Amino acid sequence: MTVAKPLPHDSAALHVTGQARYVDDLPLPEGAVHLAFGTAPVAHGRLRSIDLTKVRAADGVLAVITAADLDHEIDVSPSPSPEPLLAGDTVQYVGQPVFLVIAESHLLARRAAALADYDIEELPAILSIEEAMEAGSRFEEGPRIYTRGDAAEAITTAPHSLTGSIEIGGQEHFYLEGQAAAALPQEAGDMLVYSSSQHPTEIQHKVAHALHLPMHAVRCEVRRMGGGFGGKESQGNSLAIACALAARLTGRPATMRYDRDDDMTITGKRHDFRIDYRVGFNGEGRIAGIEFLQLCRCGWSMDLSLPVADRAMLHADNAYFIPNMRVESHRLKTNTQSATAFRGFGGPQGMVGIERVLDHVAHAVRRDPLDVRRANYYRPLAGASGGDISEQAKTQTTHYHMPVEDFILHEMTERLVETSDYRARRAAVAEWNARNDVLKKGIALTPVKFGISFTLTHLNQAGALVHVYQDGSIHMNHGGTEMGQGLFQKVAQVAASRFGIGIERVKITATDTGKVPNTSATAASSGSDLNGMAVQAACDTIRERLAVFVAERAQARPEEVRFEGGKVLVGGEALSFDEVVRDAYMARVSLSSTGFYATPKIVWDRIKGEGRPFFYFAYGVAVTEVAIDTLTGENRILRTDILHDCGASLNPALDIGQIEGGYVQGAGWLTTEELVWDGKGRLRTHAPSTYKIPACSDRPDILNVALWDGANREETVYRSKAVGEPPLMLGISALMALSDAVASCGKAYPDLDAPATAEQVLRAVERVCT
Amino acid sequence: MYDFNVARPGSIDEAVKLLSDEDAQALGGGQTLIPTMKQRLAAPELLVSLTNIPEMQGVCRDGDTLSIGGATPHAVVARDAAAHFPGLAALAGQIGDPAVRNRGTLGGSLANNDPSACYPAAALGTGATIVTNTRRIASEDFFQGMFDTALDEGEIIVSVDFPIAEVSAYAKFAQPASRFALVGAFVARYADGVRVAITGASETGVFRWTEAEEALSQDFSHEALDGLSVDSDGMIGDIHGAPTYRAHLVSVMTRRAVAAAI
Ligand SMILES: Cc1cc2nc3c(=O)[nH]c(=O)nc-3n(C[C@H](O)[C@H](O)[C@H](O)COP(=O)(O)OP(=O)(O)OC[C@H]3O[C@@H](n4cnc5c(N)ncnc54)[C@H](O)[C@@H]3O)c2cc1C
Repeated sequence: MTVAKPLPHDSAALHVTGQARYVDDLPLPEGAVHLAFGTAPVAHGRLRSIDLTKVRAADGVLAVITAADLDHEIDVSPSPSPEPLLAGDTVQYVGQPVFLVIAESHLLARRAAALADYDIEELPAILSIEEAMEAGSRFEEGPRIYTRGDAAEAITTAPHSLTGSIEIGGQEHFYLEGQAAAALPQEAGDMLVYSSSQHPTEIQHKVAHALHLPMHAVRCEVRRMGGGFGGKESQGNSLAIACALAARLTGRPATMRYDRDDDMTITGKRHDFRIDYRVGFNGEGRIAGIEFLQLCRCGWSMDLSLPVADRAMLHADNAYFIPNMRVESHRLKTNTQSATAFRGFGGPQGMVGIERVLDHVAHAVRRDPLDVRRANYYRPLAGASGGDISEQAKTQTTHYHMPVEDFILHEMTERLVETSDYRARRAAVAEWNARNDVLKKGIALTPVKFGISFTLTHLNQAGALVHVYQDGSIHMNHGGTEMGQGLFQKVAQVAASRFGIGIERVKITATDTGKVPNTSATAASSGSDLNGMAVQAACDTIRERLAVFVAERAQARPEEVRFEGGKVLVGGEALSFDEVVRDAYMARVSLSSTGFYATPKIVWDRIKGEGRPFFYFAYGVAVTEVAIDTLTGENRILRTDILHDCGASLNPALDIGQIEGGYVQGAGWLTTEELVWDGKGRLRTHAPSTYKIPACSDRPDILNVALWDGANREETVYRSKAVGEPPLMLGISALMALSDAVASCGKAYPDLDAPATAEQVLRAVERVCT
Repeated sequence: MYDFNVARPGSIDEAVKLLSDEDAQALGGGQTLIPTMKQRLAAPELLVSLTNIPEMQGVCRDGDTLSIGGATPHAVVARDAAAHFPGLAALAGQIGDPAVRNRGTLGGSLANNDPSACYPAAALGTGATIVTNTRRIASEDFFQGMFDTALDEGEIIVSVDFPIAEVSAYAKFAQPASRFALVGAFVARYADGVRVAITGASETGVFRWTEAEEALSQDFSHEALDGLSVDSDGMIGDIHGAPTYRAHLVSVMTRRAVAAAI
């Protein structure tokens, strides 16, 4: 069976030979026009007028469009709260698109876009979380609050309590391929759109709306993205719509891509947070109650901020049963880029909050943080390991009242403690620190429990379209998009396995709204779960028809027919798959089918904070060891050991790739990736020369990744589990290891903010020493 | 980028003549100038490349002086100066990445006088002499603040004479994204005393830390620097580090340079 084989990425050879096509590589018909946005120079202001004379007169410029030229306000937002394509009377952040230049080339368009003379009356800008809280600048009428028990009471009556606060920076997606789109006008006003988007249906919908067309008149195709990470869930809308408008206006194909600096300046990033906490606990570090205040900087428009902030609340427990918990979340509106989806979708920030609390509590009770973590874990599953069965049988629930029915972190932690040699290494770290004054080491183990499903329940659906051609080769299509994560290959493995044939017989095809309609974004880690199941359903429909057909001929029952090793086995006979297909075609059997899947079991009330938002949880554990230079704050990850749960993996090679990449991206977020805005709201880190993402050489020299060998308890595709987002949060172990290293310098708690840049680490060392 | 022409003269005289045109500008490795032109912050009509002039190339020892041609790439210095002046060669070997080191030149780096560049620390820290087509300029007089030097319009750095130190070392704290020096300290010991030059830190560009020089001239050990620090007033504060952080790094990097030199 092809499923579970560690096959390479289907496009790996194309990637490394440069043959893989991205939007900007597509040969366009002659006469294509190129677009660029002119963007707002101030963070907040009234746009009195804008002189575009020089822009219009610039070389190669064909047309310039402002909001006033549009026949209606074009909305690019994925949320119910509109976001104009081009700023109208007010500008809301530095980098906001104000006008669109249509020119003969990319460079000419960009050059012209820089020539506008703005007359703007500057208004006070709200930039920081604190300013937004003070001004009451927010989305939604007030904070969202999820509670279980009485946290305030539990904290007051607990033997010990403490308070703290952590600032968590945002993160630039830094997909290697920037945002890009192209639109080709079709006959009768129809539009074909190519987009580097995780959400082709949204592109189709938004373009149709902008052009006053029914959705059937717009088709969006996405072969692949050069990375998405959530940054292409909604941020591609503007480019696709701009291209469609320009294509309609000029009657020529239109294409647009953001240059890296423009991309970083215009598009949203991961939400930065400040999380305040108050926690009550006993002398062992067992937590009785926590109050979290999550302050989330959303930027100027709503975008996906509400579900992102919800997910941060939903991961405020991570792996821990907190009997009394209150999470209060403020979604703050600021004059900065509109923060958006980013791998983990708020979950990572919520999880950093609780891991910080565990670290702080462990420091207060002077215990190994690992022991405190385990003491607070959700209860082991009934029958998992000895103890009082009746007590164990009671499933614990999260603070949003969802039963935790698949908790496997006790076993996973135990295994990783062993394989990583955690205890001995922790002792060695302590010994090193006793002997060395300048270089200090730290080690930490942190767990991940990540909820899988879109919290907007209706999004948990997917469709597929499978054709079997008369030669036995297969065309497979589904609503998921490929962004390098390997989704297409995994789903192709499912298709090949259903028919019992080799993977080379399955053609992977571009995501296309004309083939599979009404798709959800490839997001929430759900790509394989949803689309794998939909493809499986489509394949099974065709397989069933073939089984009926051959069974009838062989006077056997359809249930007895098996598809294996390129053969169809029936009544003791082994027919070749191709032969069966050919005969079925001749016998006029339909060889094409759609497939559909909707995730079962989930119900969720996001206002009350009650229900079962997730089908299941994916788990992981990581141990990271770091060294810090206590005189400069510089730090390095020395070694990382990871044990991660992909259920029964569809493809261990691709899954391990996702885990390694997720860890490195998570550790980068929390250590070197620092976004800096100046007092005027200008993002000063908008290129790799100022914004440091991890490179190959920043990967720890020792990076051991193993997969947990259990199947998903829920009926997912081949009992696998989602892997896109969860491993990012394994990177939290790097931040906690740094905290451990800093703590070794003195008595006080390090209080380390993220990202823990060298300067931050040095400050923490100074705090701890004095 | 605006349109421009390129000339590749084979002699200094020819280069100087071409540079007498006010819209002409010297081109070394182009590692700074070309990006600046791309951003349209500079728009010379004629670039006069200095990389084809034999007298401006290479490393040559004359007694206690190492003379390096103004158009010598960093990678060549890293390789060819190693046997004569290891501290200087090591500094050149830490500039940027291999591509930058293969193109960027000594003369370009000094003429540019970026406050975060490495070579200014070596020039000032050795008391080097900058030899131009018209005169010899002491390093003390050469650096005149951020991106500012004593060079006149059209004057070119032909070579630089570095007095070879008994021992020396450069300790650099690289800004993680660009690898430029957030703070770099060059320490060199000579028979008549120790010199310490700091780059990356000060708002006025590279400077000599004279207190440290005095202490080290008495006792060339990092302990000699105990209790010494620079004031954070006048240190650069930017997106990569606060003035206090830079001031702190000045002492740490100087100590490390001393330790490495011994
Ligand atoms: C990615 C990157 C990383 C870098 N990292 C570092 C680093 O870590 N440390 C560091 O020190 N530098 C670093 N640099 C800068 C690099 O060293 C440049 O090479 C140097 O600053 C300029 O040298 P150049 O020969 O390229 O000069 P150019 O860019 O050609 O010219 C720069 C200026 O000098 C003038 N000029 C050039 N040659 C002469 C001459 N002989 N006489 C008079 N004027 C002249 C030019 O007219 C121009 O004004 C980095 C650069 C890049 C792109």
